[in-house]
Amino acid sequence: MKRQNWFLTLMGDSKRQKFTIPILAILLSLLAGAVVYLILGKNPITAYLSYLQGSGLVPKGNYAAKKSMLTDLMSLLNAWTPMLFASLSVAVAMRSGLFNIGVSGQMMIAGLIATATVGYSSLPAPVAKPLVVLISALVGAAVAALIGFLKYKWNINEVVSAIMINYMVRYFVSFCIKRYMADPVSRQSRAISSAARLSLMDTEIGGLKMDIPLGIILAVIAVFLVRFLFDRMELGFEFRTIGANPLAARYAGINVGRNLIVTMALSGVLAGLAGATYFLGYYGSIQPDTLIATGFDAIAVSILGNSSPIGILLSSFLITVIDKGSTYMSSTVGVRQEIGSLITGLILLFAACGAFFSYLIARSRQKAADAEAKTAGKEERV
Amino acid sequence: MNTINTLIIDGLSFALPLFIMAIGGIYSERSGVTNLAIEGLQGFGAFVGALAATLLSGFFAASSQVPMFLAMLFAMLGGMVYSMLHAVLCVKFKADQVISGVVINILAMALTTFLTSQLNASVFGAPSNKFVLGTSVRFSVPGLSSIPVVGAFFSNIYPFELVIIAAALIAWYFLYKTPFGMHLRACGDNPHAVDAAGVEVGRVRFAAVMVSGALSGLGGICFAYSISAQFSPSIYMGYGYLAIAALIFGNWQIGPTLWACLIFGFARSAGFALTQALGLAAAFSDLFMTLPYIITLLLLIFFSKSNRAPRALGEIYDKGKR
Repeated sequence: MKRQNWFLTLMGDSKRQKFTIPILAILLSLLAGAVVYLILGKNPITAYLSYLQGSGLVPKGNYAAKKSMLTDLMSLLNAWTPMLFASLSVAVAMRSGLFNIGVSGQMMIAGLIATATVGYSSLPAPVAKPLVVLISALVGAAVAALIGFLKYKWNINEVVSAIMINYMVRYFVSFCIKRYMADPVSRQSRAISSAARLSLMDTEIGGLKMDIPLGIILAVIAVFLVRFLFDRMELGFEFRTIGANPLAARYAGINVGRNLIVTMALSGVLAGLAGATYFLGYYGSIQPDTLIATGFDAIAVSILGNSSPIGILLSSFLITVIDKGSTYMSSTVGVRQEIGSLITGLILLFAACGAFFSYLIARSRQKAADAEAKTAGKEERV
Repeated sequence: MNTINTLIIDGLSFALPLFIMAIGGIYSERSGVTNLAIEGLQGFGAFVGALAATLLSGFFAASSQVPMFLAMLFAMLGGMVYSMLHAVLCVKFKADQVISGVVINILAMALTTFLTSQLNASVFGAPSNKFVLGTSVRFSVPGLSSIPVVGAFFSNIYPFELVIIAAALIAWYFLYKTPFGMHLRACGDNPHAVDAAGVEVGRVRFAAVMVSGALSGLGGICFAYSISAQFSPSIYMGYGYLAIAALIFGNWQIGPTLWACLIFGFARSAGFALTQALGLAAAFSDLFMTLPYIITLLLLIFFSKSNRAPRALGEIYDKGKR
């Protein structure tokens, strides 16, 4: 009995489990990943170290000209920004008990419209950049609010309508790019002007050439704004109440319908910003014939971070490190870089089992308590 | 004339794999388990089938069709085994069914992409991210195929289309005409009543998800054969989600879902045909591809009253709850 207890003590009460269960999920998946590396005859410690080296968190052996740990870290931040926005978007909806599975579609349509209107214009940077942010936020909000409206007005499940809209957007974006915006060489949309781009690419600072993601500042501000919204504001309280118990919320006089649309719109603003920082920041062009995976990954990242802004800050960072570091890992360790997304997938799988873990913990605690009560009862009788 | 023939032939070869995946989805959802995992299940099934075909094709003559039927068998097995993950998560671990579905899709894509590349590099010694499959023969029914227009339904048929029709008939029979099917449907509407009748809800749901895995796998390998004659990450085109759209369009019933799939299939091939006939740029076929989704959404709006999901769909079964 005693041997099992250290694990239960470590996992803590339900409040502490919010941290310990995701960490358990991460450790289990890293362990599973290590087993795969061992099967392939590679050293897992070197492999995991190279993820950190590739993402600029640990120095590499040598660097190319004008590159350093800092430039790697900057490009990590560049990739992290859209993931952070997308996960926040999912979390905002989830707090009200809504699934925004349409983040990918909202990102793409926001990116497309911002690209078409501002990306190819000759506006100077101080006008173009804020305009990109504004337009993408509005487009994202409009599409997501439509999903909320469909649910409110006709009770159409938000998951279903979001999937339909995702694919409408996917094909519509492909059409627009191929018909009007295609680059004849890359077959993607033509590169946007550097004035409209939210990341300053290949900028020389102190003899280093780096990508500076301006969006990350917005994203970190957004993390704290969302946190403030949930913890301090009446609207955030209403969201949480609806998420916890919609009937009680209605009974308490909360306007559920209005809140539904407002939540989705807010979630859409964040999804739109994710699209802006992805297509007009990180990449600079849009690829046709594909629905980006970020929006789906974001759902799982948000679960891993317990739908809390700070949790998401950490979980999205971890997932980006694995994603970004896998290229360097592949070149040094010689294992296909797809193993990175495999480890990510495993983390998300274990994170989805979170409720089951806490159920198991509660049950074994109960068993331990029962056993103790039994022995205590026996002693008394003796 | 010729255009109409291609339209029908291509439409059918797209609609039928979609249909069998949607039937899988109906099994799962009618038992009360939301299944967004169809996309991942079909991809994983197709992966296992394609791997089996690649490994076994050496034992057969180059033009032999046996590997294709073996691939279908293994795809069903692969999809079924992989779907048990979704079943365990949803039924035993009481995880959120939507989240589980999303995660299963992400994992399927990561796992099959990694394994395809790794197996190609380390087992077959050729760095590539796909398994090339033999091309499937196609046949026409003599006599019937020469009837104008209608004959197109009987010409240039892929053998898998017959397999799908057979599987669909069996699936229809089991769902509507057997005690198992009745229990399954009841599990999605009133699991407590099923429990009271002495049938274990968890077991029925588990079986239903496994059926959906097997049928999705079959659909996946058929797409792999008909569209590209290879397995590659491009199998994740979102057809699993289109199957979900079809079954919702079909109001969670097999008959109407067939019509939905046929509409989607013909809308798709008509889109391609129309682009060609009108001399439009190829990009316009993408614009036509938005139609199935727009139609489904509009239909949901207009028939939101009569379109009814299984009552206990997505709810975790809890014996103690009333």
